[in-house]
Amino acid sequence: MNSRRFGAAGLALAVLTVLPLGGCALDGTGGGEQTEAADASGEVTGEVTLQTWALKPSFTGYVEGVIDAFEKQYPGTTVTWLDQPGDGYSEKVLAQAAAGELPDVTNLPPDFALSLAREGLLTDLSTVDDTLADTYVAGALDAYRYGGIEGTYGYPWYLTTDLNYWNTEMLEEAGLDPARLPTTLDELVAQAQTMKDATGEYLMSRKPGLGDFAAAGLPVLSDDGTQFTFDTPEAAAILDVYRDAYADGLLPDDVLTDAYLGNSQLFTEGKVAWTTGGGNFIDSVLENNPSLEGKITSSPYIGATPLYVQGVSVSHGSDNPATALALAQFLTNAANQEEFAEQVPGIFPSTTSSQENPELAESDGTPQGAAKQIAFGNLTTARVLQPVEVTEAMVTIVNQQFAAAIAGDKTSAEALEAAVDECNKLLADQ
Amino acid sequence: MGARVVTARTGARGFSTPSPREVVLRYLLLVVALFVTVGPFLWQLSTSLKGAGEDVYTSTPSFVPSEPTLDNYARAFEAVPILGFAGNSLVVAGIVVVGNIVGATLAGYALARLRFRGARLVLGAILFTMLLPGEATIVAQYLTIRQLGLADTLLGVALPGAVGMLNVLLMRTAFVAVPKELDEAAIVDGANAWQRLWHVGVPNVLGMLAVVAIFAFIGAWDDFLWPLIVLTTPEKFTLTVGLEYLSGTFTNNPRVVAAGTMIAFVPIVVFFAALQRYFFRGVDEGAIKG
Amino acid sequence: MTRPATRPAERTSSRTPSRGARTLLVRALPAAGPGHAARTHAWFTPWLLVAPALVFLLAFNLWPTANVVFLAFTNVRVLSGGELVGLENFERMLTDEQLATALVNSIVYMLVCVPFLLLVPLGLAVLVEKKLPGIAFFRTAFYTPVVASAVVVALIWGWLLDDRGVINAMALRLGFVTEAIPFLTDRWLVIFSAISLTIWKGLGYYMVIYLSALGGVPRELHEAAAVDGAGALRRFWSVTVPGVRNTMLLVSVMITVSALRVFAELYVLTDGTGGVGGADVSVVMLIQMYARGFSGNLGYASALSLLLFVVTLAPLLLIARINRGRG
Repeated sequence: MNSRRFGAAGLALAVLTVLPLGGCALDGTGGGEQTEAADASGEVTGEVTLQTWALKPSFTGYVEGVIDAFEKQYPGTTVTWLDQPGDGYSEKVLAQAAAGELPDVTNLPPDFALSLAREGLLTDLSTVDDTLADTYVAGALDAYRYGGIEGTYGYPWYLTTDLNYWNTEMLEEAGLDPARLPTTLDELVAQAQTMKDATGEYLMSRKPGLGDFAAAGLPVLSDDGTQFTFDTPEAAAILDVYRDAYADGLLPDDVLTDAYLGNSQLFTEGKVAWTTGGGNFIDSVLENNPSLEGKITSSPYIGATPLYVQGVSVSHGSDNPATALALAQFLTNAANQEEFAEQVPGIFPSTTSSQENPELAESDGTPQGAAKQIAFGNLTTARVLQPVEVTEAMVTIVNQQFAAAIAGDKTSAEALEAAVDECNKLLADQ
Repeated sequence: MGARVVTARTGARGFSTPSPREVVLRYLLLVVALFVTVGPFLWQLSTSLKGAGEDVYTSTPSFVPSEPTLDNYARAFEAVPILGFAGNSLVVAGIVVVGNIVGATLAGYALARLRFRGARLVLGAILFTMLLPGEATIVAQYLTIRQLGLADTLLGVALPGAVGMLNVLLMRTAFVAVPKELDEAAIVDGANAWQRLWHVGVPNVLGMLAVVAIFAFIGAWDDFLWPLIVLTTPEKFTLTVGLEYLSGTFTNNPRVVAAGTMIAFVPIVVFFAALQRYFFRGVDEGAIKG
Repeated sequence: MTRPATRPAERTSSRTPSRGARTLLVRALPAAGPGHAARTHAWFTPWLLVAPALVFLLAFNLWPTANVVFLAFTNVRVLSGGELVGLENFERMLTDEQLATALVNSIVYMLVCVPFLLLVPLGLAVLVEKKLPGIAFFRTAFYTPVVASAVVVALIWGWLLDDRGVINAMALRLGFVTEAIPFLTDRWLVIFSAISLTIWKGLGYYMVIYLSALGGVPRELHEAAAVDGAGALRRFWSVTVPGVRNTMLLVSVMITVSALRVFAELYVLTDGTGGVGGADVSVVMLIQMYARGFSGNLGYASALSLLLFVVTLAPLLLIARINRGRG
């Protein structure tokens, strides 16, 4: 290790290494050079650890089933399953990575994987598996390929997308036709105005984010991933539309501070007539507010359809790379993914062979089935809208600036410029 | 008890009977404060008792559940092993409470009552570390715990909070307030420092000890991020970490989440209710007067 | 009668010339020391007593603190490490507009919180100190906000302060206002909403500390004042307040430190966004923003921590001065 560089523990690290307590356990800390690529050709046997994110207790049975099948197919293997709670996952993975104890196979969304891949902590799968492109859909694989870094750093696992959901009762009360739902931002605002005039209720309840710019086909990040570029006049025009809508009272006040899930929460509460949500959104709404039964319809996302990818990555420091790779492949194979999708109506397999599966493409005639059909139908054109380089801190900055523009505290152009400046600073920090 | 217990309180009891007018006024103020402090919690309790058919989202939610049910509690218990998590939390909280009571009492007494070279330096260091925000150190802290071989253990969760510097300061303040005359009398009697601590100091700071115990218990019981980082094996999770599974699973079902928070809440209330009498000056009225 | 216990030491120390910030800080706390020179214990006894605390102080407080000081001069990232960069982080602060906003917010926060939390919990403590039937229930009840988790608090206060929340619904119905009060979106209203949340949560916390201190106020003083015909309020000012003066000093230090470090309240009320245009961020919110996550810039976060340390020092020195002036 270069003596001028310091790890995350700073002084602690620098001093601990000279104390007897120190020892070799520190080698795994980020910054140190990693050994050569994992040897994938070894025998598939022995122990590996699998870490998932927030699958317990709802999907305990499914994951345990997959693990049992894996252990049966490869006698002599033992899989230890760890599931981490939803909140604080990035902190947990970060501490694991800093301590050099990343589990062999870890469920990482693309943005987490990027940070770890940058430090050489993940296995480049393209060097050990040449069937990637045949097995997984391109859009999902792309989520684990990054500008400026060679390689593919995750097996795509399950996919989700967003579509529009509408409260038909509220629409009808306002004299709006649920058969003629808005398909553009301008139509959306026009219908929101109609609803406001007729019943005083809200249709819209969210402020735009970087994903909305991408959905409208506007640039967000430079191709090499080094500069944000969303301060365009077209983006300012979108913000202006929201600002005017807010000034006209078409958006509730709380949109200025509401976090990501604000509008789906309000929709569930029956307080707004429109939200976006995943393929199984109707069921989760009904569980919490049964009074909306039969009053929800869906339509495709406005603009480009967003794609959300979950995947599993293999630790570069795995002691048992061959088994880890086998497990990651097994977990994400078509059969296992299709069964998972069957259990969870809103998620879809990322395997190419599953895309023709008629069971996934068909609707059973219910509103839930229709939503699933729309979601699945748009998967082929869906793409990751918000760049994976965008961190939580950047989202906060963007939220603050967009809120200021919508509230009319500053012009849209000023807000965009400020957001780009701050986000570029954070990007340069990395 | 052959030992002589000395306390600061020597008041006459006759004074403590207030006039009827004062009693009424006091209860009036108490009820106002009660409304401000716990009103919101009753709403949470009421939510946790509401049945699935009841709309908890209307703009005017009713305070009394129309169909009260314990179903949500049952679901919370079914979904995650709450008792196991609570047991882990108790272990952590137990270590932290004992550590703080012992560590803060000993150090607080020495800093308040014994003159020694370096006392100011120790006190200054304590203040210094309290004033510097520690938000940026969590990863470094984890690496320390790992070096000690305590990653993924309940002891590792408990250790960093086992002697809180704020608690040392609180105990020191309490000991400073004990009348010096009591100490001097004990010195005349030939008591050494340890005897004075045990027989003069401690009986006079029971109130602050209870405060320290409660602060320590709550700090350990409520912490989320630190146990999450230290612990990896789900069987070792503490209650706050384990309950996160509830809010993850029942994202939009506030009834079950409310039931979970009430479950986490009860032990703290019990612990507090058990200790609150120590704040009360009447507690040592039974003790031998100095 | 009992108060002079601390006086002699206080007096002698206040005459010695200032030996810098550290000693001044030490004086912010009630002075210690037996007022006599005779040695009453072996030299090692105090060290044995402080040993356990000292071990923890070194391992879990001084050690990370040293880290923060060191990291402030580096550009260390959580995963990739970094190198020494001199004063770069501090230069960056000069052009950080969010930081200026955050500093103003934190200081306003402190200025409002300190007087309220110094006195109201003391009043509450006096109220629950007297043994009336059912008092144990009230004491426990008053403490409940302290133990409320951030999630519960967010739910409850969102429900109260939302533009369609309980308070606005009532204000509109009663005709006090014609439009919903923007508790959660106006820069200063957000801060004052957060302050009321801090005070709400702090009432029980400081009440408990005061309760334990009230036990040490001799009853004779109350009785004497009552005999003199002093009313409840006068007795509060002339007997209770001086009687718990040492505790009030410590409490004021605690409030100052925690008010300048406000995080959870603002985070919860703004859903983590820091308010419209980031106008409602606090310094600790910024530290968290930079320190956490995969892109965590530990260097800048540590430099911000050091800045906050310096900012905290100023009011504490003032408290120390006031304390000395009275002694």
